[in-house]
Amino acid sequence: MLSLIAWRNILRNKRRSFILILSIMVGVIALVLTDAFSIGMMQQMLTNQIGTDAGYIQIHSKGYHDDPTLKNSIENTAPVRAALSHDSTTVSFSERLRVFGLISSASNSSGVSIVGIVPREEERITTVHKYIVKGTYLTDKPDDIIISTATAEKLKVGIGDKVVIMASRIGGSVGAEACRVVGLFETFDSGFDQTHVYIPLETARKMLGAAGRVSEFVVNPIDPKQTDSISRQLRSRLPSDMEVLTYKQMLPLLVMQIQLYDQMIYIFYAIIAIALIFGIINTMLMAVMERTHEFGVDMAIGMSNKRIVTMILTEAFYLGAVGTVVGLAISLAIDIPLSHSGWNLAAFSQSLKSVGIGTKIYPVVGASTVLNAAIIIPIATVIGAIYPAMRAIKLQPVEAIRAS
Amino acid sequence: MNTNASEIVRVDNVRKVYSDNGVPVDALRGINMTVLPGDFSVIAGPSGSGKTTLLNLIGTLDKPTEGAVYIDGEDVASKTRRQLADIRLRKIGFVFQAYNLNPVLSALENVEFTMMLRGIDAAERKRKSLALLEELGIGELANKRPNEMSGGQQQRVAIARAISNDPRLVLADEPTANLDSDTAVKLLELMEKLNHEDRITFVFSSHDPQVIGRAHRLLILKDGQIVDDKVNV
Ligand SMILES: Nc1ncnc2c1ncn2[C@@H]1O[C@H](COP(=O)(O)OP(=O)(O)OP(=O)(O)O)[C@@H](O)[C@H]1O
Ligand SMILES: [Mg+2]
Repeated sequence: MLSLIAWRNILRNKRRSFILILSIMVGVIALVLTDAFSIGMMQQMLTNQIGTDAGYIQIHSKGYHDDPTLKNSIENTAPVRAALSHDSTTVSFSERLRVFGLISSASNSSGVSIVGIVPREEERITTVHKYIVKGTYLTDKPDDIIISTATAEKLKVGIGDKVVIMASRIGGSVGAEACRVVGLFETFDSGFDQTHVYIPLETARKMLGAAGRVSEFVVNPIDPKQTDSISRQLRSRLPSDMEVLTYKQMLPLLVMQIQLYDQMIYIFYAIIAIALIFGIINTMLMAVMERTHEFGVDMAIGMSNKRIVTMILTEAFYLGAVGTVVGLAISLAIDIPLSHSGWNLAAFSQSLKSVGIGTKIYPVVGASTVLNAAIIIPIATVIGAIYPAMRAIKLQPVEAIRAS
Repeated sequence: MNTNASEIVRVDNVRKVYSDNGVPVDALRGINMTVLPGDFSVIAGPSGSGKTTLLNLIGTLDKPTEGAVYIDGEDVASKTRRQLADIRLRKIGFVFQAYNLNPVLSALENVEFTMMLRGIDAAERKRKSLALLEELGIGELANKRPNEMSGGQQQRVAIARAISNDPRLVLADEPTANLDSDTAVKLLELMEKLNHEDRITFVFSSHDPQVIGRAHRLLILKDGQIVDDKVNV
């Protein structure tokens, strides 16, 4: 019966209840949207990094991760291939020779990572081939090179133009190769674009005097969830002078950022909850004070303080529950379509590119986001009603009845 | 303090001093009285004589400045707020001048409400409340809200609410003051009948001659003192 009275009291001042429910809804929507977009953004940054370059798992010679130079590249790749052949149905892989060097044209030069790849392998592992905006991906010709549009602009070159790449060879002398630009790429990450050029693996090996060598095997599980188990298996199969790293070890900053975010969102939750609590205190206090006379009568006829508090908190809980349910429905109605189509942020594309996100954000609506909102908001509403309820039971019955 | 076992209320040398912005106001100055089972007593007196103050003290809504109020032999001053709420719930019914029904509840629900507070289950309290409304002649108003009822009808619901928990005592502070005289008479007849047939004890405050005329016992209050105490007028 207390819940019936609570409902009727909510309906009694429809305008005030509506405004309160509206503010609860806004809180829920702000919470869910922020959370979903932030998680989406974080995951995108991670999958983008994995997709353009890092992959899920890499195999190196021990020491390469700390000192990524040619002398730390894998000389004998046979054991790695043998280990990978066990997993041929669950992973795909590519091999790269990577070195830091210089790319020059007649008018300018630029420091870049020169990455020797096997185009057909690399296409299965990374996404760079999808970002070719002009020309083609690497073909079979040994003097092919693809560079980014940013690098092309800097070097003032275009498709078909000649560039020279240079890097230290394995013995310490300088190797150089003349290449012809066959394609320009442009990803969502301007930093990545400015620092990567791709040539065929064999060309790289020849230029660097590194026949048969591989800097990194990039291994992608068909099912990314198996990253940890597959990396563990690989580790056990490979000789001890090899290291197997997952993206978590290769991209520690990004992974840490995501973990940090998971904590930070609680600060945001707390801010929303506190704002809500103050709104509730204000409104419920008004509602309670207006009913001073009624509470006096309730006390006179023998209603206990406990029941009065229960009634007021129930009212708040219903307001919170309605606001949360409607707010969640609206949030999902906004988020779910956007999680498929993405939210186009072309207007901010320059700054988004500099952090490696791209022009669209795909919000991720997780069960935890929905659950957090569904728990936090109604609780905050009830907490906000505690003070008004305490005020109500502090009333002296005689004075409360006299109030009109 | 010696209290007679059958006394419902004993008011013992009670003084009540209010503070009106720091100025002490002697609302009651040495009141002694008792309420016995079956009483139909009226406390009469001019405005400001202390009628409401006295009823509030008997109703455990307030505590005396000096002296003591006993309900069924128990000193009200020694009780906690929670115990007092329980005493009011089980032993005392209130009828107010302004009816004071819960505006969001129907007539039936207003009566059920006090039974709910006592923990009576839903089916039982509905049955009893309906029977009570029937008895008071307002069965057909069961589903009406207070704002859909006349003053007399609301006061009947208030009486039903007051007696719904079979109290030892019903306190009615000027229950007819807001009603026209015909309605007031009918309401008084109803309460007389409840007093007669169901042995419900009533204590009124009033300066309405119609109420005073029906008193079995009349206490005249003046300036916070009982100046006359007549039985069976
Ligand atoms: N809360 C209060 N604070 C200060 N003075 C009060 C308070 N309540 C009552 N009084 C004073 O106490 C005296 C008795 O008041 P009370 O309300 O008991 O009289 P009453 O007989 O019920 O009057 P009425 O017929 O007008 O209802 C009056 O002088 C009144 O002004
Ligand atoms: Mg009065």
